[in-house]
Amino acid sequence: MLAYNSQTLDNLEIQEEAEKALRKNCITVPTYKAIEAAHPVNFYTPNPVIKIGLFILTVVIISFSLGLLSLMAMDMLRNEDGFAGLCIFAGLVCYGILEIFIREKKLFRAGVDDALLWGAILLICSSMVIVGHISASTVCLVVCIVTVLATLRFADMMIAGVAYLAFLGFIFTVAIKLGPVAKTIVPFLIMFISITVYIAAKKISAYHSSRHYKHCLTIVSVLSLLTLYLAGNYFVVREVSNEMFDLQLQDGQSIPGAIFFWIYTAVIPVVYLYLGIRKKDTVLLRTGMILLAAIVFTIRYYHSVLPLETAMVIGGLVLTVGAWALIRYLKEPKHGFTYAEPEDPSLADKLRLESLIIAQTYVPGAQPAGNDVQFGGGTGGGGGASGGY
Amino acid sequence: MNIKVFEKLRAAALINDAELTAVKTAEDQQLFSLHWEIKTLLYLGVLLLSGGLGILIYKNIDTIGHQVILLIIGVICAGCFSYCIRKKAPFSWAKVNSPNAFFDYALLLGCLTFVTFVGYLQFQYTAFGTAYGLATFIPLAVLTVSAYYFDHLGVLSMAITNLAAWMGIAVTPFQLLSANDFGSVQLIYTGVILGGLLLLLAFISARKNLKKHFAFTYQNFGAHIIFIACVAGMCVYDAGWLAWFAFMAVIGFFIFKEAFRERSFYFVLITVLYGYIALSIAVVRLLITTNDIGGVYLGLLYFIGSAIGVIVLLISLNKKIKHASV
Repeated sequence: MLAYNSQTLDNLEIQEEAEKALRKNCITVPTYKAIEAAHPVNFYTPNPVIKIGLFILTVVIISFSLGLLSLMAMDMLRNEDGFAGLCIFAGLVCYGILEIFIREKKLFRAGVDDALLWGAILLICSSMVIVGHISASTVCLVVCIVTVLATLRFADMMIAGVAYLAFLGFIFTVAIKLGPVAKTIVPFLIMFISITVYIAAKKISAYHSSRHYKHCLTIVSVLSLLTLYLAGNYFVVREVSNEMFDLQLQDGQSIPGAIFFWIYTAVIPVVYLYLGIRKKDTVLLRTGMILLAAIVFTIRYYHSVLPLETAMVIGGLVLTVGAWALIRYLKEPKHGFTYAEPEDPSLADKLRLESLIIAQTYVPGAQPAGNDVQFGGGTGGGGGASGGY
Repeated sequence: MNIKVFEKLRAAALINDAELTAVKTAEDQQLFSLHWEIKTLLYLGVLLLSGGLGILIYKNIDTIGHQVILLIIGVICAGCFSYCIRKKAPFSWAKVNSPNAFFDYALLLGCLTFVTFVGYLQFQYTAFGTAYGLATFIPLAVLTVSAYYFDHLGVLSMAITNLAAWMGIAVTPFQLLSANDFGSVQLIYTGVILGGLLLLLAFISARKNLKKHFAFTYQNFGAHIIFIACVAGMCVYDAGWLAWFAFMAVIGFFIFKEAFRERSFYFVLITVLYGYIALSIAVVRLLITTNDIGGVYLGLLYFIGSAIGVIVLLISLNKKIKHASV
């Protein structure tokens, strides 16, 4: 089922665990070397930065190959069906190359294989859209089947996420066609599926045989928590029903059962946070944090409780003081929580992502007032203008 | 860590009992870190606070007195800076770790409110005269000094953004391409000068050990700006594009050598990718002159073949830098 050798994947995990133990000085360097030698990994996985480059370049190759193919087959492609066929053909070629690369070159999350996998799936699935007369539910179903098969074979977490969303899309598109009763229960149906999938993902990840899919299961559980919330979020329910079911609500008008959805909107994120802290579960905790923002957004969208700027100042104060209090509180680790940085150095840290985010959100100073010293005045550029002061 | 893995390793006699016990104790003492969660909250708080204050002032300019507003911002700004000055570790040209987590954000809030303060002074009283440059130059100076004095990478990025704004370029990461009109010749030259300046600063801070950890940020902004300016030059100039190509090759060679010295994959990658873009523009420019359908085929074949070539190149570079940092 899996394209990769299961033994090698196990060895990879053992090596990673041993490296963690080495970093914490639990084992010695000779021990680490011995473990590494006893569990060889022959996968080719480049540096994560190079991986991004390889991904981009493979996308370039796939796109231009597709261009070349369509140019050569111009005469045969008289209509959309012809082009859709070409897409399916190109997708299958991508898949074939992917299989060969994995078997012969032992690529494992190397950028090239990710690009080929995405290329294959996108090409095959987009052919249905190109043809144009296939219903949305069929598209969702096919996407779901293709991505589920791809997940089983390659254990790619992003594709597992797409598979889950396509599955929900299929349920949704089928349900809304079934009539008024089905339309009313759609939110509850999605909630039910989400929670079932979440519990199932938790249960499955406990099995030893699912160990190679643990990242896929994590992403599916994050998405299922999000969809569980969004299915009952007041904003989503109101706007989607208004849009899809032609309720023609006026501003200020509400949907049936509004009270339930309002309570649901406000309570679920808090429940996530509570469970996340209780169970020390990062997935629940972070999802809860993101969804707190969703509560604020939903309430503010319908009720302007406070003017925006006052709300921002108060919110900012609450967050800053709250975080400050938490840091003070966790100065000494309490109840198994700590403020100390996790020891594993992350890529985001190395690329100074934080400072880039600060630069992204920062708008420098006042805008030019439109006088004569605006820049670009001469070929001397910035250097020249500074002399004027 | 996964205890089961280590128990298996113990069974295979690859680790001894002492090591297994050490792993188990370490795992038992493993704490749940809220580091990133709290940092995110703090950062959001600071952003909301400074943004909210900005809008508050903008909206209430007519009702509250200007002095009152100035006073409020001034007090917050002064409070943040005085907190930072009291808490800071002594200055050094080496990396200085921040005394506590709150420090970084207090400094950030101080800097953001300072920018608002100066902007407000300028807007209301034209305190710095009509020469627009001065009103941007003062925040630039304060941000730069703060970045070095308190050792803060985020403030350094703000200072660089401000420097670029002062010179007339928006270098905010996601707006680098959309907010600038790289069709204009002046902007291209400004970009080259700014990028060159930042690369020089990176070079100096790395070689002279002056806040060596700032080098990455300087080089990151500098390399992207100068490369984009060169690529723009190659597209805009119909006659002189070959000169831009040659100039870019020189710059690329320099950055590439530095990247190898620092064992930085990130800069190796961006140099290779920008170099590839430049080469492709050159090839396309040459192919356009052939004015023939065969040129299109040749172009497509070039892209497929060259991309494969670059992949092979990257893989072999990956092998050359064994223990890369980034």
